[in-house]
Amino acid sequence: MTEEKILDFFREKKKADGLTYDTDLFKGGYIDSLFALEMVVYLESTFGIKLRNADISEENFRTIHSIAAVVDRAVKEAAAGEKPARKGLFRR
Amino acid sequence: MPDDKKKIKVVVFDLDETLWNGTLLEGDTLTLKSGIADVLRELDRRGILLSVASLNDRARAWEQICAFGLDEYFLAPQIGWNPKSEMIAAIARDLNLGLDTFAFLDDQAVQREEVRFSHPEVRVFDAGEYRDILDLPDFQPRFVTEDSARRREMYREDLARRAEEKTFEGGNEAFLRTLDMRLSVAPVQEGDLERVEELTVRTNQLNSTGRTYDYDELRRLIHDDGHVFLIASLEDRFGSYGKIGLTLCEKTEGALCIRLLLMSCRVMTRGIGSAILVYLTRLAARMGLALRADFQETPRNRIMYITYKLMGFEEIERDGDFCVLEYRGGAKTFPDYLAVDAPGEEKP
Repeated sequence: MTEEKILDFFREKKKADGLTYDTDLFKGGYIDSLFALEMVVYLESTFGIKLRNADISEENFRTIHSIAAVVDRAVKEAAAGEKPARKGLFRR
Repeated sequence: MPDDKKKIKVVVFDLDETLWNGTLLEGDTLTLKSGIADVLRELDRRGILLSVASLNDRARAWEQICAFGLDEYFLAPQIGWNPKSEMIAAIARDLNLGLDTFAFLDDQAVQREEVRFSHPEVRVFDAGEYRDILDLPDFQPRFVTEDSARRREMYREDLARRAEEKTFEGGNEAFLRTLDMRLSVAPVQEGDLERVEELTVRTNQLNSTGRTYDYDELRRLIHDDGHVFLIASLEDRFGSYGKIGLTLCEKTEGALCIRLLLMSCRVMTRGIGSAILVYLTRLAARMGLALRADFQETPRNRIMYITYKLMGFEEIERDGDFCVLEYRGGAKTFPDYLAVDAPGEEKP
């Protein structure tokens, strides 16, 4: 479910129908600075999570599959009430 | 500089009884306000963009502007029957600039109030003040460089680019490929220093540390063997974006440290930040050094932090809002939609 939502987001934003869960997003040139920010804001608002600085890494964002894994973990942690341990990314 | 009022980047003019004497649709004989062409030229020279918001017949009004020979000055003009607040918002969207950098001149109090009400951040003037605005500090940019004199042209090229991007059927990468982009990275020269200072002052979002340096300091850094001080410019088939990126790196024991990295917002969607970082990873590797980067969090530069992290940088130190990142990714190559001309790289 998480994966599907994120894939839809990418397909809509990037008009990239050929994109799959395992496409290398960096090799494909899908992530410029502006899009990276949009994506982080989208993930946080859609899934009601706050990504930690440590969650944002090249490996975690390489594919839609790996992004979904980060999101799912963050959702689970939020549900388990582990909020105090999460140090959020700074934001405006 | 949160308390400072921002400098004006765009001035929007009404037409009837503001740019010219008379009302077009009433069949009046129209004459330009005395000296207003010189005001437009001067604003243009300062790198301030000009636009139009007028309740009028679009075709006829534009024809009249052309007849006065002023059409080249106005970008993204709004002529029609929408409220002026909406027109101004549309201009801001088209030019990708914040309303807090806009000024608006209109002879009618009701129009000025309508704009003021919807956009309190827009600086609103009576049409009669058109000559006085030149002397206001907000209308005097700190720098008038080669890039400011070309700003109108660059925005016009950018409007054409974005119009094409909007209608482009393929994906983002495919579009970038059609642009035929050429990035050149070169050591900062003395002649670049005004632009360097301008970039460090104007750039907030895509700025890793927000550090500013005075002119003498910058000049010293050019000749300092302990630093790598580079400026980047970008061109594509629509024209030149000018000098849009800057980095200052210090050679320290075992590492090349990025003290400053910034890019103009106009290239935010072009992958230029990553390309410059790719270059620095390659440069550091050639020098046999690790690559580190200072990062100072501000309320506006989260985008830069994300750029570093997604490039393969990891935090190795943190002290409050300040951290040091180190590159831990593998060897990188430039994206294939971009030709890069830089010291130590093969000519494209």
